[in-house]
Amino acid sequence: MSLTYIDAIHQAQAELLRDDDSVFLYGQDIGAFGGAFKATKGLKEIYPERVLDAPISEDAMIGLSVGAAIEGMKPIIEMQFADFSSVAFNQLVNQAGTHYYRTGVPVPITVRMPCGGTPGSGPFHSQMIESLYGHYPGLVVVTPATVSDAYHLLKQSVNLPDPVIFCEHKFLYRWLKSEKIEETNLPLSKARIVRSGKHATVVTYSAMVHEAVRAAEKLEKEGWEIEVVDLRSIKPLDTDCVISSVARTGRLLALGESFPWGGVTAEVVSRVVAEGFHLLDAPPMRLNAKDTPIPYHPDLWAAHRPTPESIIQKLRELLSL
Amino acid sequence: MSNGAFPKIADPTLEPELIRRCYQSMITSRVLESKLSSLYKAGKIVGGVYLGTGQEAISGSLGVLLKRGRDIFSPLIRDQAGRIAFEEDLLDATRTYLGSAQGPMRGRDGNVHRGRPLEGMPAMISHLGVGLSLVTGMLLARRLKGALTGVVGGTSVGDGATSTGSFHEGLNMAAVEKLPLVVVVADNQFAYSTPRERQFACKSLLERAAGYGVSGFEVDGTDFIACLQTVKQAVDSARAGGGPQLVVARLLRLCGHGEHDDASYVPPELRDSNLGRDCLEVARAQLLDMGMVTESEISAWQDEATERVQEAVAIAQKERGPDPYQEDWRATSTSGMQS
Amino acid sequence: MPQVPIIMPQLGESIAEARIVRLNISVGDFVKGDQEIIEVETNKATMAVTTLCGGVITEIRAAEGVDYAVGTLLGVLEATEEEIERTGAPTMGPEEKTPIKDEGGDEENLHFRTSDQSYEEPKLVEPSIKGLPVPAGMKGANYISPRMRARMDDLGLRGADISAIVGSGAGGRVTVNDLESFLEYVEEWPHSSASSMRLSVADAMRRSWTRPLASVGLPVPLDQVLEYRSRQTPKPGLTLYVLRAFAIALSEEPATAGFLIGEKIVHPRAYDIGVAVQVEDGVMVPVLRDVDKMSVSELAVRYAELVSLARERKLPSEDAQGGIATVTNFGTFGLKWGTPIPLPNETLILGLAAGIKTPKWSDEVGAFIPVTETELCLTFDHRVVDGGGAGMLLQRVGQLLQTPENL
Repeated sequence: MSLTYIDAIHQAQAELLRDDDSVFLYGQDIGAFGGAFKATKGLKEIYPERVLDAPISEDAMIGLSVGAAIEGMKPIIEMQFADFSSVAFNQLVNQAGTHYYRTGVPVPITVRMPCGGTPGSGPFHSQMIESLYGHYPGLVVVTPATVSDAYHLLKQSVNLPDPVIFCEHKFLYRWLKSEKIEETNLPLSKARIVRSGKHATVVTYSAMVHEAVRAAEKLEKEGWEIEVVDLRSIKPLDTDCVISSVARTGRLLALGESFPWGGVTAEVVSRVVAEGFHLLDAPPMRLNAKDTPIPYHPDLWAAHRPTPESIIQKLRELLSL
Repeated sequence: MSNGAFPKIADPTLEPELIRRCYQSMITSRVLESKLSSLYKAGKIVGGVYLGTGQEAISGSLGVLLKRGRDIFSPLIRDQAGRIAFEEDLLDATRTYLGSAQGPMRGRDGNVHRGRPLEGMPAMISHLGVGLSLVTGMLLARRLKGALTGVVGGTSVGDGATSTGSFHEGLNMAAVEKLPLVVVVADNQFAYSTPRERQFACKSLLERAAGYGVSGFEVDGTDFIACLQTVKQAVDSARAGGGPQLVVARLLRLCGHGEHDDASYVPPELRDSNLGRDCLEVARAQLLDMGMVTESEISAWQDEATERVQEAVAIAQKERGPDPYQEDWRATSTSGMQS
Repeated sequence: MPQVPIIMPQLGESIAEARIVRLNISVGDFVKGDQEIIEVETNKATMAVTTLCGGVITEIRAAEGVDYAVGTLLGVLEATEEEIERTGAPTMGPEEKTPIKDEGGDEENLHFRTSDQSYEEPKLVEPSIKGLPVPAGMKGANYISPRMRARMDDLGLRGADISAIVGSGAGGRVTVNDLESFLEYVEEWPHSSASSMRLSVADAMRRSWTRPLASVGLPVPLDQVLEYRSRQTPKPGLTLYVLRAFAIALSEEPATAGFLIGEKIVHPRAYDIGVAVQVEDGVMVPVLRDVDKMSVSELAVRYAELVSLARERKLPSEDAQGGIATVTNFGTFGLKWGTPIPLPNETLILGLAAGIKTPKWSDEVGAFIPVTETELCLTFDHRVVDGGGAGMLLQRVGQLLQTPENL
């Protein structure tokens, strides 16, 4: 029996609801319908009072979650698509993000953000939002790449007393399968070396971890050994793990699916250059999606985001220097 | 200033003690705010001072009808009277305004941006309308915990905030969940300098209630007894399971948006109209008329307020501000989440 | 009694200053707490400045119709200890009569910030460096990555030290692995420590060697100058005659001794020329000033002083600086020719080989006659000088040496 990434999210939520009365789920179409991606399927029947359909009011959904968190609850908000969190931006960065610093009262909300592209989803159902929220103080931003991480990091996020932006990648929902959920439970703040190598380091997160691994596998046939670091959470960002990997390889490619101006990949490069310039054998590089809205047509979409081919091309350039 | 007709009949459902306490809160609020204004004009308070002059009756009514420790009160910019009626310590106000490290906000936020969220009084942010969903969430949590019985959550906004998406989303959400939310709209004619006709096109904001499927009330915000009666009706109805309530109080802000603003945009004829009556003077006349207080009691309350305010200011003024070198500069309660 | 400041308040978020419209107080007035004492006007509104407590006005520092910055001390009032205790008003320091500073209030008082009157936008300045630098290639034998540079710094190595290593990296660049295996390879070889003199010569030569250097030589008869010199007392060294001739020749063609910076040839300001002096484990180069304007006999005195200072390692650093070219006499070692390397900041070095008596055919005499001949060897930066220019320069030096009485 195998488990998908969305199964892991479903299972984590089911267990959280079962084990903790203070957990409740709130989001659009998540009740009897089971959610746009079926992440809450069947949960309303078991916990009718704690799995609630929300009106199409992203702003108020986050306001409500902060209020409930003040009162001791641990709300999990499902943003139907991460793209729509722009409507809730104010409540996220100004209400949730500032609350602990201003009042000393932490607000343990977890906002599930189905993000990232799938073919045909177009400009408003494909965006990555981690760089945006990582910029603001007071928010933790988690970006799981594996089935086990989707499960463990969601549980850790809900139990963290601070607001968490939980970025779950839609492409991985059913594409990614695992035999079982691994028992190892790496803390939320730690990155992981997915694949070891000695010629270059790719630092990435979420779905791009798998694209990077595929690129690395192809380059292996030519004798290049590429190390892949999965950040797991982009805030906090495990700089130590990144720097120690670059110390082994001397070369860095920061890879992300979000837009190219600023963001996580720029942050990774900036930290490596500032703290590990002496470790570099070549100028560090970044690879992101293109600087346009995300296109609808599958062919355009596939060329908009980094692919194993474009990653290989970038790595070849990096290795040639 | 007109001393037009106002009801002289004491409402049998209003306990005299409640009325007296509300009026006393209004007096204390006026004294405190006048002192805060003075400290601002002496260069002692930085940033800004925002007063609720003219809005004490409606604000105090909401505050006094909610019970600290049981209910929720999410005040906004002009709710000093409501805060005092809800038993906020005067020191919370003076410490926050004067940036004392010992206040609830510890110098991290100032002036009206203060609260004690764990005691049912959230700390407002500057973005308008967001308090509605916040209180809705607090009430929802009470319901999930099985602790909603008898609880009401109240919040205030001005006419300007009703134009925000947040206001709409929040009130609609509370209505969908049928939660005991009381929203008091102080329709004070101006959002900063923008007159209400540039803010909304309906005749009265009361018309909005029907659209949300919530109970609506409209009241003359300068009429103290009417404010208490109306807010009491709304709070009682919410407490009894009647769902969200929208109370619209018509009045005029008798001060600038903040103390840096001389409100020169308010036409004199508006000041001279019924809307421009000072609710404190109306209240005084009403209570004296009903024989609920004596002149000497009022005078004693006034002196007591002056003394309490002076003491709260003196304490806060002598306290140190936050030390940037001792500040932990942490925005999350969990360590290691910022790097 | 405690003194309480009266300051210009911040009356609005973007207000930097306000104008005093009316002063409602005079020195000696009794005021109450929260009394409105000064009317001020900002560009937004008209409002009043209030007192922090009751007391007596002891000083007024402001005038009507004048703008004051937020935080400016406008006046002082004196209050009783009891009043301070009751109101919590800030004071300007216990019992001090003169804590007031000129303009801008009391910096010691934690409660008051002062701000400058206004901020004038700086004028746009011209960038000090124009144009783009030459782009650095990131591959090829010359490229040293930050990682490689860090490892070399660890080991105290310079670029020239790794010239022996064949690079296996992109475009033949030397990688850290290449370096480590080379170091392992030489580990067991015998070695000694380099002196600081050796290291400084090494550094100068390494820097100089970054340029395209070329060398030419010209045989020059020395009989005239040797004969003339033998009649002088004391006898100046042969080097000085060459030095003098070299300076005259350069002064006739200044660009030859110039150095290239970007698109400019920088010409000599003065004909100050160094002379290489062999010392223990290295070379020192004392510089003789204005060689074009001094006779050989005048130069001889100064030269003797400098050589002896150099040999004792006491040459002041200012006497080893500022030369435009160098003369080196390696003929004293019996060498017949050489390709000396100019100092990094000089374009030319003139070498003097051993004077050797050789038979030369003379048409005049119709027989071989003995001639004492040396080889003048010139190394030059080929970016600045070409072979032709170098040859003409040597010809001119050789020519001048044939009339030693003019030197």
